[in-house]
Amino acid sequence: MRKRLLGAAVALAFLGTAGLAAAADKIPVGHLAALTGPTSDVGVPYGQGIADALNYINKNGGVNGKQIEFETVDYAYNAPRAVATYKKWMASMKPVAIQGWGTADTEALVQFIAQDQVPYISASYSGHLTDPTGKSPKTKAPAPYNYFYGPSYSDACRGLVQWAMEDWKAKGKEGKPKFVHMGDNHPYPNAPKEACAAYAEELGFEVLNPIVYSLKPADAKAQCLSLKESGANYAYLGNTSGSNISLLNSCTTVGVQTQYLSNIWGWDENSINAAKEAGNGVAWVVGAPPWGSAVPGMKTLAAISRMSDSSGKSERPLHYIRGVCATFFMKDAMEMADKAGGITGPNIKKAMDQMKDHVPAGLEGVCTPSTWTAEDHRGTTEVSVYTSDYKDGKFTMTKMATEDVPRRAEWLGW
Amino acid sequence: MASGHTMMRCGEYRTTYQADTTIFPTPMSRYFAVGSVILLLGAPALLNAYYLNLLIQIGYYGIAALGLNIVVGFTGQISLGHAAFFGFGAFASAWLNSSLHIPVFFSIPLAGVMTLLVGLVVGIPAGRIKGLYLAIATLASQFILEDFFARADWFTGGSYGAMAAPFTVFGYTMNTDQRYFYVVLFYVVVFFLLGSNLLRTRDGRAFVAVRDHYLSAEIMGINLNKYRILSFGISSLYAGIGGALFGHYLGYVSAEGFTILLSIQFLGMIIIGGLGSVMGSLLGTAFMVLLPEVMEGVVNLVGATSPDMTQALAYVKEMAIGLSIILFLIFEPDGLAHRWKMIKAYWKLYPFSY
Repeated sequence: MRKRLLGAAVALAFLGTAGLAAAADKIPVGHLAALTGPTSDVGVPYGQGIADALNYINKNGGVNGKQIEFETVDYAYNAPRAVATYKKWMASMKPVAIQGWGTADTEALVQFIAQDQVPYISASYSGHLTDPTGKSPKTKAPAPYNYFYGPSYSDACRGLVQWAMEDWKAKGKEGKPKFVHMGDNHPYPNAPKEACAAYAEELGFEVLNPIVYSLKPADAKAQCLSLKESGANYAYLGNTSGSNISLLNSCTTVGVQTQYLSNIWGWDENSINAAKEAGNGVAWVVGAPPWGSAVPGMKTLAAISRMSDSSGKSERPLHYIRGVCATFFMKDAMEMADKAGGITGPNIKKAMDQMKDHVPAGLEGVCTPSTWTAEDHRGTTEVSVYTSDYKDGKFTMTKMATEDVPRRAEWLGW
Repeated sequence: MASGHTMMRCGEYRTTYQADTTIFPTPMSRYFAVGSVILLLGAPALLNAYYLNLLIQIGYYGIAALGLNIVVGFTGQISLGHAAFFGFGAFASAWLNSSLHIPVFFSIPLAGVMTLLVGLVVGIPAGRIKGLYLAIATLASQFILEDFFARADWFTGGSYGAMAAPFTVFGYTMNTDQRYFYVVLFYVVVFFLLGSNLLRTRDGRAFVAVRDHYLSAEIMGINLNKYRILSFGISSLYAGIGGALFGHYLGYVSAEGFTILLSIQFLGMIIIGGLGSVMGSLLGTAFMVLLPEVMEGVVNLVGATSPDMTQALAYVKEMAIGLSIILFLIFEPDGLAHRWKMIKAYWKLYPFSY
């Protein structure tokens, strides 16, 4: 019995490490997803959006008739494992582009992908991935092959403070409003901290000392009390949704009267349902219109959703829709590359860098028009600010404003 | 070594203390060790970047795991903050290189020394407390260092993290897996030899005495405080070197990577490998590094036939990793090193069972 078990284990190990060989007429694409691990709450719908979009493309003619061959690897938000997966891909299927995920792994791969010339579309919107040339004094390292769909964390936060100032004036209030950055002392919540505070100050806010609260959902009454004492009028929540829900619950108990502003990963349909009334009024950045909105692209989106939900009944969250958009920008770049001499990494990059106010065909109204150039990888600086309202078991999302954040040269890479 | 030259050994023939403390108990084990290093020297020519990447991971994690084994397996202390030292080494080496312009060649050992100093400071409570209390004290050091990584902009680059330049030697840039493999292999050989030798010295035996019975050790004249703190220092040195190798390999160091989870993974490595075994540290690391990769492959094979299952399979994979660790604790509590010994004994005594 023991020998048989051992034999089975060895056989499994061999099977497991066997790589996938790519056929000649196929387009190899890597898909790095966080289906498990600390960011899986938002990683699952985002990854599903990418997988569904890729399957949909293959089913509907592929890229100029060529099929995309992709492999989804769950790396559980572990940077060394992301690098190992990348190496495996480069050794076997040689992807021409990669759909990636988080901060640490994206940063770890910046140099590798530049060296191997593989365009990498991440879900990390860190501001310093926006400088492809490294010209900006704020840039630590140039990121020529990195792309993401949507405003950077820094631009999103700038858009929020811009909206907050308009809100302050619209409500006819006097004096300097107080702004506070909240979040864990981690790379991701901290990413826009300085950039956003500098802009808030420029707009006329009084910027208070940041308040730290845990990325892991926990009781945050102490932090809520300091928020209450600080008298902040606007508080930016830099964490992901789970910890924001617990913060809002704690702050409702304490009785805080602050207008919350949240980033793109900090608030979504699931959080509204979980926080219930405590989350009413949170203003947050949305990278796609909600499921079922009356926009022309919604029909295509519904068809894409059917790839993994044949009944067509499930309502996809915002993160899913952004995953779809990220994939379709890549697909369009591949089509342009195909016409310009072949679907290779450098050609895809060239095509991405030529997109101007581009919206993928069929997804009008769903994906924000994006512009990338060889000098500037801020796809968009347009920030859609939404707010949510929960009442009697149902919620509504309302668009408050579309903020156009200035595209300043000195903000590149910040 | 009375029977050193016979074909087959079937018992213990050691008659001197010297023979008892030799690194390689039989000529065979020596040939085996030297042979595997020679074989590994040829690995970059034979293996692709993916397999080399796994070997490199086993290398740098293995050095750090051996460090943890010195403090947990040999000295009988507990440390829940090993990942923080690992991270400190990575940041220290990147900082020495980028701010003080020390070549990476020197910054890696220097980062090890810096981590050693931090380990000595953190080890001070270890001299006084033990068991659960020590576990919590080391846990505190984990959180303190993690917070330090996120705040100390001058040292770690704060929330942006730090870029780590590639390793260069004599004008050669070791930026490919084929080249970097040799750097890691060199450090693995040196630090595993140092680790094995450490246990044959006076200090190493003092560590074991502290572990086995601290009261007897004290009565024998062993300075408990000194050895407990020293073992923390040495363990941090190993973690620092492993971390520095890790940093220069990835090219980027982020505070996100050095959480309590990694500390627990290090503990898993030495438990699976075998507490108090130098070779076990390497075996356990190999197991922990390869298991997710193997499981990923299995899940992919199953997922290829039924794509809708990808999500569910992701959790099955995570569960399988947990399950295998539990099964190890139940069926192989002494770790892979023990299993290896049993296999050796089987061949040594063949055809008799004992």
